[in-house]
Amino acid sequence: MRKHVFLAAGLLAAALPAVADENLFGYVRGSEVLPKGSGEFYQWVTQRNNKGTGHYRAVDTKTEVEYGVTDRFQVSAEVNGLAVKSQGLLINGYLPKDIDSNLRLQGFEVAAKYNFLSPAKDDFGLSAYTSFEYGRLDVHSGQKKRELEFEAQLQAQKYFLEGQLTWVGNIGLRAAHEKRKAIADLPEDFEWPTDPEMEISTKIGTGLSYRFAPGWYAGVEALFENEYETEVGQERWSVFGGPSLHYGGKQWWATLTVFRQLRGGGERYDGQPEKQLHLIERTRNELRLKVGYNF
Amino acid sequence: MSAHRWNAFFLPVAVLAGPTAYATDYLTVAQAQEQLFPGAQFGEQTLKFSSEQRDRIKAAAGVRQRNDEMKVWRAEKNGKLQGWLMVDEVIGKHEFITYATAIGADGKVLGIEIMSYRETHGGQVREQSWRKQFVGKSVTDPFKLDQDIQNISGATLSCRNVMDGVKRLLVVQQMFLKA
Repeated sequence: MRKHVFLAAGLLAAALPAVADENLFGYVRGSEVLPKGSGEFYQWVTQRNNKGTGHYRAVDTKTEVEYGVTDRFQVSAEVNGLAVKSQGLLINGYLPKDIDSNLRLQGFEVAAKYNFLSPAKDDFGLSAYTSFEYGRLDVHSGQKKRELEFEAQLQAQKYFLEGQLTWVGNIGLRAAHEKRKAIADLPEDFEWPTDPEMEISTKIGTGLSYRFAPGWYAGVEALFENEYETEVGQERWSVFGGPSLHYGGKQWWATLTVFRQLRGGGERYDGQPEKQLHLIERTRNELRLKVGYNF
Repeated sequence: MSAHRWNAFFLPVAVLAGPTAYATDYLTVAQAQEQLFPGAQFGEQTLKFSSEQRDRIKAAAGVRQRNDEMKVWRAEKNGKLQGWLMVDEVIGKHEFITYATAIGADGKVLGIEIMSYRETHGGQVREQSWRKQFVGKSVTDPFKLDQDIQNISGATLSCRNVMDGVKRLLVVQQMFLKA
């Protein structure tokens, strides 16, 4: 119950009257940072659904506060939540049992971003972003898992037409150390490895957003991810793409992105209906809403 | 609350995220005229630009002339030309920024006024300390942020576009308005 009150309060704060490191996109991010002494509150809600078989739907929440330490350097802290409903699909090593969980605390994250070049002043924007995350739940199955994750990214941004058209590009590397907790009542032949494992993944993203009316932006974005794991080598790859709609007001902004897996590969589960997608750790569809409030 | 019931989350947040009007206008044209050319008489004229003329403006100013019309007020005092007042709009982060620029008969900026500014950061563009950097500028000046015009953190795009806009108006004056 306390979690619900906390989230409701967060969303209410995000919805107060009436924006700086404003996100024009749901998945790729620009190079701008908050000015010194200013802050921003974010609430993200992401829904992931459809693994091709059975019923799968997960919701990720991210509640984040960002602060501009200097005009070039900002820090942030995040609390992440997770709810998973999965029925009628068991995948050896990945989805051990049906689940219909409440929203639970998934983990914490801290991040920092340093801006080297400003897109408006230097004509090409460039920032370095790094984050460290602790997770306590497996975001795919909803089962208990301890995860330590480090991510580094370069974020580029370019304005065209005096800022009416914005391009962003991201390239990133993520490394994670994971250890699953044993599940007592699994069938004997079901694999659920509990030895520590390492994952390394790469991420390349790009987006283009056009301001079609004052405050309103329409864009498209795409994300290519590759993941390698100690046991299986290349575990998965996927390309997601989709449209984004963004509104920015004087103090708050909101972005809605509909993301769909266009192609994917790597491991597949037995009987997977769509062979050109990766549906073990990814879903076919995602929907993300972000709301930001500047203070 | 299980995952499927979280669909309901998207609707209220989307509704709360609906647009709100927050326009803030600081000066009317008449007020800008009085601030920049106190006691002057004004004659209004409309400049109309052909596509070729807009291309020439862009080539000289480095930025687009977005509109094909521009209102200009010729300022005179006792029959003597004082200069021109030009009201223009440039793109801010979210909304258009409306500003007035006074250019003297010698082709130099006499002053600028921000008539409306609606952005999250950078309200300092309205302060005299920022605006006075433009006084005396001509088309031959660099017009570079943090070189001859100070940037305002969190409002870099706004500063850049106002700065480029003033240079563009100087180009327009030089090409189309003669003493």
